[in-house]
Amino acid sequence: MKARIPALVSLVTVAAVLSILPFVLGDYNISLAAQVGIFFIAVLGLDILTGYTGQISIGHGAFMAIGGYTTAVMSRDHDTNLVLTMLVAFAICFVVGLVVGLPALRLSGVYLALVTFALAVSVPLLPLKWSSYLGGRDGVQASHEVSNLWLYGVAWAASAILFVLAWLILRGRAGRAFRAVRDSEIAAVASGIELPVYKTLAFGISAAYAGVAGSLFVLANNGFAAPDEFGIVLSLQILIGAAVAGLGSLWGVLAGAAFVGLLPSISSSVPVIGSAHGRDVVFGAAVILVMLLLPGGFASLVAWLRRFGRA
Amino acid sequence: MAAAATSRLESLRNRGAAFGGAPFVGLILVAVAAGLVVGSLRSATFAQLTVQGLALGAVYGILALALVLVYRATRVINFAQGELAMATTYVAYQLIQWGLSYWEAFFATLAIALVLGTVLELALIRPVLHRSAIAAVIVTVGLFVLIDGIVNWIWGGDFKSMPSPFGTKIYHVGGVSIARLYVGMFVVVIIAVLLVWALFRFTKVGLGMRAAALRPAEAAFVGVRVEWMLAIGWGLAALLGAVAGLMTEPSQFLLEPTLMQPILVYAFAAAVLGGLESPAGAVIGGLAIGVALNLVVQYVPAITSELQTPFAFAVILAVLLIKPTGLFGHREVRRV
Amino acid sequence: MAVNRRKLVALLAALLATAAAAGTAAASHTGTPGVTKKQVVIGGTFPFTGPAALYATIPAAEAAYYAYVNAKGGVHGRKIKDITLDDQYDPSQTPSKTKQLVEQDHVFAIVGSLGTAPVLSTWKYLNNRKIPQVLVATGDAYWGQCVHKALKLCGGKAKPWTMGWQPDYPGEAKVYAKYILKNQPGAKIGVLYQNDSYGKNYLNGLKTGLGKHKNQIVDAESYNLGDSAQVIAAHEVAMRTHGADTFVIFATPQATIYALIDRTVIGWSALTLVNNVSANRVFELAAGQNGADLNGIISSEYTASPTTQANLKGMKLAKSIIDATGNQKLQQSLAEGDGNIIYGLASAWTFVDALKHAGKHLTRPGLMKALRNLNESGKNKNPFIYPGMTVKTSKTRTFPMEQLKLIRWSGGKTGDWHAFGSIYNNIR
Repeated sequence: MKARIPALVSLVTVAAVLSILPFVLGDYNISLAAQVGIFFIAVLGLDILTGYTGQISIGHGAFMAIGGYTTAVMSRDHDTNLVLTMLVAFAICFVVGLVVGLPALRLSGVYLALVTFALAVSVPLLPLKWSSYLGGRDGVQASHEVSNLWLYGVAWAASAILFVLAWLILRGRAGRAFRAVRDSEIAAVASGIELPVYKTLAFGISAAYAGVAGSLFVLANNGFAAPDEFGIVLSLQILIGAAVAGLGSLWGVLAGAAFVGLLPSISSSVPVIGSAHGRDVVFGAAVILVMLLLPGGFASLVAWLRRFGRA
Repeated sequence: MAAAATSRLESLRNRGAAFGGAPFVGLILVAVAAGLVVGSLRSATFAQLTVQGLALGAVYGILALALVLVYRATRVINFAQGELAMATTYVAYQLIQWGLSYWEAFFATLAIALVLGTVLELALIRPVLHRSAIAAVIVTVGLFVLIDGIVNWIWGGDFKSMPSPFGTKIYHVGGVSIARLYVGMFVVVIIAVLLVWALFRFTKVGLGMRAAALRPAEAAFVGVRVEWMLAIGWGLAALLGAVAGLMTEPSQFLLEPTLMQPILVYAFAAAVLGGLESPAGAVIGGLAIGVALNLVVQYVPAITSELQTPFAFAVILAVLLIKPTGLFGHREVRRV
Repeated sequence: MAVNRRKLVALLAALLATAAAAGTAAASHTGTPGVTKKQVVIGGTFPFTGPAALYATIPAAEAAYYAYVNAKGGVHGRKIKDITLDDQYDPSQTPSKTKQLVEQDHVFAIVGSLGTAPVLSTWKYLNNRKIPQVLVATGDAYWGQCVHKALKLCGGKAKPWTMGWQPDYPGEAKVYAKYILKNQPGAKIGVLYQNDSYGKNYLNGLKTGLGKHKNQIVDAESYNLGDSAQVIAAHEVAMRTHGADTFVIFATPQATIYALIDRTVIGWSALTLVNNVSANRVFELAAGQNGADLNGIISSEYTASPTTQANLKGMKLAKSIIDATGNQKLQQSLAEGDGNIIYGLASAWTFVDALKHAGKHLTRPGLMKALRNLNESGKNKNPFIYPGMTVKTSKTRTFPMEQLKLIRWSGGKTGDWHAFGSIYNNIR
């Protein structure tokens, strides 16, 4: 029971802060806060795959692209309700994730990393090929536009739902299986875990999360989906977010999401280096420093603070 | 014990770079080469595209070789390899601005790259290496972004132009026009690759590096300074990357910060195709990809230029699924 | 991480309720954003880096012109503050950068933003908010066709808040069609075009211009932005294989430079036409330096040339304005004949002209009204555009410029563009 109290306190604090934010922030800052919510979903999804199952993915931007285009195209062609398109994006990306997970059964480690990298590089090229339907370089404009507040509310509501979903999955049988796969595949098989099922399942879930994030990402970009939005840098950002987050901590994922969601805007006014490229310098340096100085990401910092507080 | 270790290291000396145990693959290569020659003799267009493909493929190959060296030394995929190559090309640009000739700048840059790669390994990769491969990969991802930012900061994102190292002469052979540029690129890359091969094969440092990568415990036992050898492996990779960058710039005529990003993608493909562990496999993989993409786009109507990259990766995925360690790789034994 | 499930659900409900409740908090503005007694703030997105970075001198020239106007006291006592952001000619970055200009910097208008796809990506957003998106640096026909009419290509809704400036691309392509039909009647044409609305609209214009001769296009190949020189070369090899003897390039500068060099590398001596935006002496010099054979290439122009027409009053003014910036790179670029600098000055001149006519009480509808009734002729002539051409708009004339002059390159690797023939009027 004791362990539950700090976790509950964390949740209440986060929820309270998120509820108050729209009343104190200006319109533009609300859109930044929404951006953090979007990355929260994507980083959480990658955490399930990399953190809990031990499979690396450098290709989550590709799933975000699929989710984002789903929303933009459905809205353009059928005026579909935007929240409904997110559910569709979730479902499509879940299936695509399962399919991508299949080669993962045969490949591991660096080979898997490179296959997902290939995915990240290849998927954004497809709209250029099928440009009459997917808009090519001109992109796809959703027929609905959303306000920053709508985006904020929906992004964080989706974050909350998906966080609970992740929690339910990870505490159950699937979660135990994921961790067993991560710690030792051979031992996992020996103890009766069906490796193919759980490895692909982890990919599917993780991709589905990225799909929802992609939907919201496009809506945040004025409902405009274009290939370059989902370049390799986006995939790297999510990976960086997950690394900063560390494993299995709400605060960690929040920190990771805030890091990748906010840093580009905040650091656009870096002294000396100037606004244009200060962002990349700060971003890159920060990632390296976190990896060097904070091995377990923010999750380990939080754990350390807790221990420190108790002592 | 020491004697046993020494003799095992000696056995490394005699291990062929790649071809041992792959006669089938060798046979395919000979057949492909013959096909290219016949095709080139029959069609000028084919020949034109093949020459250009070989020049580009050589660049993919040498960057892939850099990736392989890093992987063999530290089990890390260096996502910053391309950006590092781009940054060193800017160094060469700067040296030329300061008055050096192209080739003076070329060799000075190689030296700088060697030091830079070594220092990066010691300062940034070494500290996280013991933790996990993923941690080190993420550091290289951070490095990717950092180098990009620094280059843009110092030199700006606009286009620079460097003197052309091979001039603008064009040879006409039959109906085929061959730019001296492409011949030059190919020759420089092949010379660089041969020198690195000789270094590994015939020098003590080379043997030490191979030993440190493949049998670190035994190497340390016989007095090889393993940590240094691995760091120099990174340095050599950076040097090869610099060659790749310096040969890519003239092929694109303009220098700008995203110069190496497409090249890196194909270098990854080449390295995987060759099996990540095999230096010769990486170079051959690079040449194969360079030529194949050029020809496929021309002769297969369904594969338009935007599908080049997806097509390359689809083929490689197929190869991996049939032979998960690439064409020239060895199966890793899974440890419990 | 262990938490009671019921409490979590309750929390979730609370969160959703808050999100809904927050929907009422909306900010309201008074007065016209970006306008004070002393200042008017405008913004725009440009490629300072990336594959279209060769356009970066345009915003620099615009900034130089605003500085020149500000030094003379501004317009109606207001100094012009121009906030320019780098979107890398990437339509996926333009929306967020534009959003930043509108929602954070509260600009009065978006002025001069560059690129067809980038402008399209913010077209709806700005028109929905009734924010002027004017003098956009792209020559597509949308900006003129959609002012009053809700055509399908206008996204089903008129876009009265958007306005172009330069002659439209399909019209330019028609001029090339006329030239080819007259001077090379049996030409077999190969077209290299950018794989987006920009390139496709050019191609369609050429087809319209060729009319019943459009089957003379034996091969139209599309390239993608950022393609390597070798991909471009492969397209040219394909065109030559199809028997093309006339080569039309509808590209952006980097690809044009590649195409001109590669054409020489593969030994193809077709009659070559390049579109106006790539016909900038600086780009051709870069191509020549890398071996491109340039003599006889044809293009078109609507701004005066800083090299061959250096004695014009407007070109002397241009030089003094650029000299005043103290920016050596920009000065050198102008001396080498960078037409984009003249473009930037000319476009900024039109904006200032409109600001003057919009009057002391500056509003967004007022600016649009002034822009829809331009008449830059006679005493009010834009000094930077080609002598004999006018910038003019009215209720029925929604394209400010409808004239072009053909130019041809001579003088080899250190040569220049030279105008020939008479001005083409009403190119649309």
